[in-house]
Amino acid sequence: MDETRVQPPSQDLSKVICELLETGTVAVLVTVVAGTANIGAKLLIDEAGNTSGSLGEVELDSLVAAHVKHFTKTREQTRTFSVNEFAPESTSNNVRLLFERIAPAPRLVVCGAGHVGAALAKLGSFLGYQTSLIDDRADFLTRERFPETSIELIVARSWLESVRDVVGSGKGIAVAVVTRGHAQDEECMRAVVAVQPDYIGLIGSKRRTTIVIDRLRQAGASEEQLANIHAPIGLDIGAVSPEEVALAIIAEIVAERYGSPGSSLSSWRRAERA
Amino acid sequence: MSTIPQHDLYQMLSAANDHGERVVVATVAHTRGSTPQRRGAKMLFFQNGKVAGTVGGGCIEAEVWADAREAMQTGKSELKHFSLTADEASEEGMVCGGTMDIFIEVIG
Repeated sequence: MDETRVQPPSQDLSKVICELLETGTVAVLVTVVAGTANIGAKLLIDEAGNTSGSLGEVELDSLVAAHVKHFTKTREQTRTFSVNEFAPESTSNNVRLLFERIAPAPRLVVCGAGHVGAALAKLGSFLGYQTSLIDDRADFLTRERFPETSIELIVARSWLESVRDVVGSGKGIAVAVVTRGHAQDEECMRAVVAVQPDYIGLIGSKRRTTIVIDRLRQAGASEEQLANIHAPIGLDIGAVSPEEVALAIIAEIVAERYGSPGSSLSSWRRAERA
Repeated sequence: MSTIPQHDLYQMLSAANDHGERVVVATVAHTRGSTPQRRGAKMLFFQNGKVAGTVGGGCIEAEVWADAREAMQTGKSELKHFSLTADEASEEGMVCGGTMDIFIEVIG
């Protein structure tokens, strides 16, 4: 396939990228930015390894495809590499490449439209998350309460089914389970724990969340699946009001997305003094 | 001006391409130190003078703007280095002081 590939003009990739984004596919776009005459050449590699375009040399394309796998494992969004950083023996080792992650807008699924869930849906939408808010109480899900049309309102007949439908494959999705009671929490958690979304958080005290996690374990969830659950949900910012709790949750979701510890940026100052 | 969602961005590029219109895309490729925009931020310059997105406000936007206008004429893509030294930054009244590599790319 590599030998016979026809190189399309680089601008054609914008259509392919639109299609990937519409189908929720994650990919990496690699562009030559310096070190050769071929500046602007592009190679797009999706998560399944399908490629479009070319950097101009078959050898370079395959070296880059291998490096893209490493890049995808980090949660970096954008980075430049010199070819010699990952393939020092290559004849193209002076070429500088721009790696850009192509990913659909992040999605947030909020289970429970009480005070915390409502505030969280609004914050998520404000931050650019495509947000779905689920509750079994239709009168909690009115457009008077949520004028933001970017928030999808879903009245659940069954928590399990509604949550499962919305979460789908879990790719690119953060799920916050903040319902009014632990029976409902547990039903939502059953729907998501097996699909492994990018983030799962469960509200409640240490004790209450431990009860739910134990029940999921008894129902057959693996230790690996359970270890990914953020429970109690949120960063420790001393949140008291529902809005503050929502802030603690969305901050944890953002930190998780970028692989950041979520600590104070200034903590190094105090560490230095100590 | 805020950042452009990826899907909107590539739709704009795709539409411009359909019309045979040249677009210059400025992308923050690399940053070091304190800079006004994150890596990956993009600004689009269209033939009719319209722009979309931002690569970081007053600090460097004027320079990027000039480079983009030149690239629109010459058709030449290039990686440009911008140094936001403390002096320059304070003269501009901006709180940045790092360096940025911005890829000025001509599409179409």
